[in-house]
Amino acid sequence: MDSECAIKVEHASKKYCRTLGGSMRYGVKDIARNTLGLSSHSDTLRKDEFWAVNDVSFDLNKGEALGIVGPNGSGKTSILKLLNGIFWPDKGKVSTRGKVSALIEVGAGFHPMLTGRENIYVNAAILGMNKAEVDERLNDIMEFADIGDFIDSPVRTYSSGMFVRLGFAVAVNCQPNILLVDEVLAVGDREFQMKCFRKMHELKVDEEVSIVLISHNEYAIREFTTKCLVLERGKQVFYGDSESAISYYINSLTNAKTYHGHAAADMSRQRTASGLGMKDAIAKPEGDIIRKVIFRDSRSNETNRIYTGERLEIDFHYETSKTIKSPIFGINFYNELGLFSGFWNSYEKVKLPDICGQGCVRVIVDPCDLPVDSYQCGVVVCEEQESNVLEWKDLPIGLVVQRPNDARGFQKLKQSWKVVTK
Amino acid sequence: MYRQAIIGVLWALIIPLVSLATFILLNASGVFNVGAISVPYPIYALLGLLLWQVFATILIATTSSLVNAGAMVRKINFSKKALVLASAGQSLVPFIIQVVLLSALFLYYRVTPSVYTLLIPIVVVPVILLSLGLGFLLSLANAVARDVGSMVSILMGFLLFLTPILYLKPSTGILAKIADINPLYYLVSSARDVLLKGTTSEWMGWVVSCLLSLAVFMFGLVVFHLTEVRVAERV
Repeated sequence: MDSECAIKVEHASKKYCRTLGGSMRYGVKDIARNTLGLSSHSDTLRKDEFWAVNDVSFDLNKGEALGIVGPNGSGKTSILKLLNGIFWPDKGKVSTRGKVSALIEVGAGFHPMLTGRENIYVNAAILGMNKAEVDERLNDIMEFADIGDFIDSPVRTYSSGMFVRLGFAVAVNCQPNILLVDEVLAVGDREFQMKCFRKMHELKVDEEVSIVLISHNEYAIREFTTKCLVLERGKQVFYGDSESAISYYINSLTNAKTYHGHAAADMSRQRTASGLGMKDAIAKPEGDIIRKVIFRDSRSNETNRIYTGERLEIDFHYETSKTIKSPIFGINFYNELGLFSGFWNSYEKVKLPDICGQGCVRVIVDPCDLPVDSYQCGVVVCEEQESNVLEWKDLPIGLVVQRPNDARGFQKLKQSWKVVTK
Repeated sequence: MYRQAIIGVLWALIIPLVSLATFILLNASGVFNVGAISVPYPIYALLGLLLWQVFATILIATTSSLVNAGAMVRKINFSKKALVLASAGQSLVPFIIQVVLLSALFLYYRVTPSVYTLLIPIVVVPVILLSLGLGFLLSLANAVARDVGSMVSILMGFLLFLTPILYLKPSTGILAKIADINPLYYLVSSARDVLLKGTTSEWMGWVVSCLLSLAVFMFGLVVFHLTEVRVAERV
């Protein structure tokens, strides 16, 4: 490990046992073998065991931030536990340099009967600070946690937000060299989350703290980390710069390769007619008029990945045996969080001629200002008026809107600048 | 330990008082054969109980220490030895309180304690070592299989009556044979003789038991040290 390197993980793997019985049997065996100095055959799987972390490698320099993303149960927290030394890898090697401070779960290490103030001392002691050091920083910690009079109440009376406030305040104030943050900040309120990110940025830049961040908030990963690891069922499926990693991750989700496909389908079932922006449409007839929907980018290449602010073309290929009078075509978008993000339909723009047989309707959106995100889409065909829905269905593929290199934030809007004097 | 209890730390005093009262009652009704002893029975019993309680409370507390702190063990990296030692340390608080109680008994019965009574801190060391050594091993075992914890609490009650602490060692019979090979008998009963009279008829057994305690402690510590890094996933 060279002097700039803070974390180095080489082909680390960790296995768990699915059943309690197995865990007990193997526990007895492993402890006996470890005691006798025998190898516990940790590199092979026994019955009921599985790799929770499988052959993961990465490294992180001082003052760098790494993001870890992946669906639930993909091994993100297990990697943090390996880094923190709670677990030892069954295969491979994990090395860290300096003091590691971790915020792995809400309220871990707090004694429910002790007050917040007492717990600060206990928690800081676990992180390697003595009483004098805590005394010195007590005000900083209390100020950062900002939970008022509750500091002298037993922590079992705390809300989950208060737990995280106190836990984070201690973790960042104990002068760590490496900070591990699991998806716990999500329970903090908006203001506190912003404060945390500001503090982490400060630690990263001013004190060269290395930070590993797990988050389901892709914006946070994008903005805060430089490198990112994408996990899927314990395997490292992508490792690289955060922008590409997030794109990769979202793309793998929208292509519904993982079981997230089901979640997306559940979500779409819950969408109601009101979400479509149509007052009277209630039924959801499944027809087979729209055979195929194709997205094209600014160079007319068929793709479902475009950049925000670019031109987007959508082709609706239809086939109908019966004439549809004054058809209305529409497409709606739901972002990653399942929020209704947009609905475009032909009714508001143009009256289409009657259609019959095979054909294609194209909509050109230029520029397409959909914010950077990944979208699930639904298409709809109506006859003559919006309330007369003939078909309404979800698309198997989504649309991924990426951030172009020359843009910051989520959108690239047309703008003109000049000095205005009176 | 005594938070959210109305009389709080007084519990540490009440529990030994109640057990002492029980033994005095049992003794008065002649259940135990205490034979001829040089001091009033309550002093004799409390002194034995004192040393026994150190063993029993440390063993019970340490056995469950890893499991009780399971949430912490799984989420924070720290030396698990500290957990075992801290729970053992907690068990020493009642010991100190009981020493105070013992002094009160000496005053009450107007018995002048022999100068050897001051050796208490020394004779208790092998008891602590033995219980810590076993505690290291049992806490690991309990982390893997919870049966161990329940078994230990039951065994403690059983062992107390199996070991001649509240009564004199019988000269023949199965109890005598067990006591002969029971290190706890020497660690508690011989140690008590030393405290009361400055000597004991069973020097050999006591010394061997002390050495055994040391060996058990070292063994437990080594095993714990070798396996503690792997225990988090099993708790």
